[in-house]
Amino acid sequence: MFENNNAKAPRSENEVLVANDLRKFYGPREALRGLSFSLQAGRILGFLGPNGAGKTTSIRILTTILEPDAGHFVVDGISSKYPNEIRRRIGVLPESFGLPKQMTGIEYLTFFGQLYGRSAADARKHGMALLEEVGLKQRAKSLTSTYSHGMRQRLGVARALVNDPAVLFLDEPTLGLDPRGQQELLGLIRQITQERKAGVILCSHLLSEVESVCDDVIILSSGQIIASGTVSGVIGQTQSRRSGSIRIQIPPSSVAEARRILAAVPNVMKVVPTSDDAGWLRVELADPDHALAAEAPYLNNRMLEALIRAEIPILSFQPEGGRLQDVFLHLTAEAMK
Amino acid sequence: MSDKQSRMAGNTANASSASPTWWLVFWRELRDLWIGGKALYLILIYIILLGIYAFLFASNAEVKLLPLQEMVCEIVKASIAVGLFICLIIGADSISGERERATLEGLLLTPTSRRQIVVGKFFAAFSVWPVALATALPYWAVLSKGDEVFRQALLWGPLLGTLLALSFAGVGMLVSIWSNTNKTSMLVSIGIYLLFLLPTEIMGGPAKLQRTAEQWYRAELNQWVNPLAATSRFLFKIMVNKLSAAELWFWHIMPVLFTVIVLVLLFAYASPGLRLESETARKFRSYWNRWPREITKLLRIS
Repeated sequence: MFENNNAKAPRSENEVLVANDLRKFYGPREALRGLSFSLQAGRILGFLGPNGAGKTTSIRILTTILEPDAGHFVVDGISSKYPNEIRRRIGVLPESFGLPKQMTGIEYLTFFGQLYGRSAADARKHGMALLEEVGLKQRAKSLTSTYSHGMRQRLGVARALVNDPAVLFLDEPTLGLDPRGQQELLGLIRQITQERKAGVILCSHLLSEVESVCDDVIILSSGQIIASGTVSGVIGQTQSRRSGSIRIQIPPSSVAEARRILAAVPNVMKVVPTSDDAGWLRVELADPDHALAAEAPYLNNRMLEALIRAEIPILSFQPEGGRLQDVFLHLTAEAMK
Repeated sequence: MSDKQSRMAGNTANASSASPTWWLVFWRELRDLWIGGKALYLILIYIILLGIYAFLFASNAEVKLLPLQEMVCEIVKASIAVGLFICLIIGADSISGERERATLEGLLLTPTSRRQIVVGKFFAAFSVWPVALATALPYWAVLSKGDEVFRQALLWGPLLGTLLALSFAGVGMLVSIWSNTNKTSMLVSIGIYLLFLLPTEIMGGPAKLQRTAEQWYRAELNQWVNPLAATSRFLFKIMVNKLSAAELWFWHIMPVLFTVIVLVLLFAYASPGLRLESETARKFRSYWNRWPREITKLLRIS
């Protein structure tokens, strides 16, 4: 039925997804401008970008819902010329998905299992195993209309796993979930990735979530990649291009003393209290290119040392631009210029 | 077994003993329609409408003046017309409704043929017709009061009704495939239905009242080209005028042709192109948006 042999394309052993120069036009507008990246088995790739950056278009192309106008991609060794074969190897949790109200959780998974070629009994057995994996076994026989939002998302994840996919696409999986629900779902995603060795593409606007769960990250803007690599790598690259600053929180009563002490540390340009009055100080550092090269790596140590010696309690110490959120805001603002 | 091997085994597990996609989709739709209540509500409305219609025929003194055969013919025509409407409405909701309820994407992401998805949904949309027909039969029987006309109704009503139900369920689904929203799909489908129904009512009946031969011929032609009107006309001629089926064969041409065209369009042309978002709707919107620009350009030139 399927031309497996012809469909196979050469690839590196661990790569489960390779996208090559994907382009998509909507009328005269180029929504995707040569997207190229790869994803390895057992890794989670965060897909970020402001609204309209091309994330949904990319996901829809990679999940064969849309056809690219140019370029190609390979999923688990199968070329994009064979969309039906690719659909056998991917699992997708769309941003918004509906559930048939008249079906129970297990009936829903059995139905999809059968669509992937399993017999009814096998699909049901596999469905029960999946429900157990996502923590819904107790509610297997409840109608999906009685499920909470978190349970619906879990059922969506289970559906995405029905065919034991090589690549899992999760579009805003934690949207609308409470913090505990978010935490649990992210834990589940991490566990699935480790146990199944599937490659996961995670689209999210919650950057802290991406930072905590993803191995790699791609930042899109206006249809093209503006940063890619491991999460720490992307943060590091961007940080090195910017002159840094540090946010330090101390008790409000010690602000004046701390300002005086920090201002005396070499390479500290300016110490300014922030407007929120909660004891936050913003320490602006000298441009790394102009700072004393030998001292630059130890600057944080010097500042902490000075505050500790003065016995000023340090409540928080955050390098600005050291979070994915800072990198994202900086890069997307730069791209828009 | 490696991860990859076990994955491949899972992907192709028991493929030989699996049910065909159209059958799975058909059962799911059937369940949604009947247990979900949508089809049941529509059938309930159908029964009430036919009940009112039959009651009027049986009790109203003026209508009672109609010959029995004509009365039965009218209720058979009404049963078919309303039954078709229900098939059309369910067909019109089948794809665009799933787009709106965000359940279509899940189906399209499976390695199944689009055509099979459409076939399953088509049979589910058509499933209301046999039920509607079964609920209409008692009315036909009561009104015919044991007359010979009941046998004609029993033969031709289900036959022609089934033919038209297939085509109207197909029309609804075609519109639904080509519409992005359910509102558009419903409005266009109802518009198409009225286009077929109104000429039947306005131009159809009065053929016998036309004065000249030319007017009579034109009215008959109007009815012949309209599959719904042609069916009505056939039923009238065979049940009331007592003509033989052999004399009236040409009244079947358009209903059969219409059904064939609709089904070929649906299964051979539209269903392989089933998408999450309708390309047709997008193209239509772009053409529609182009007109004001073109007119403005023309005005500038002139």
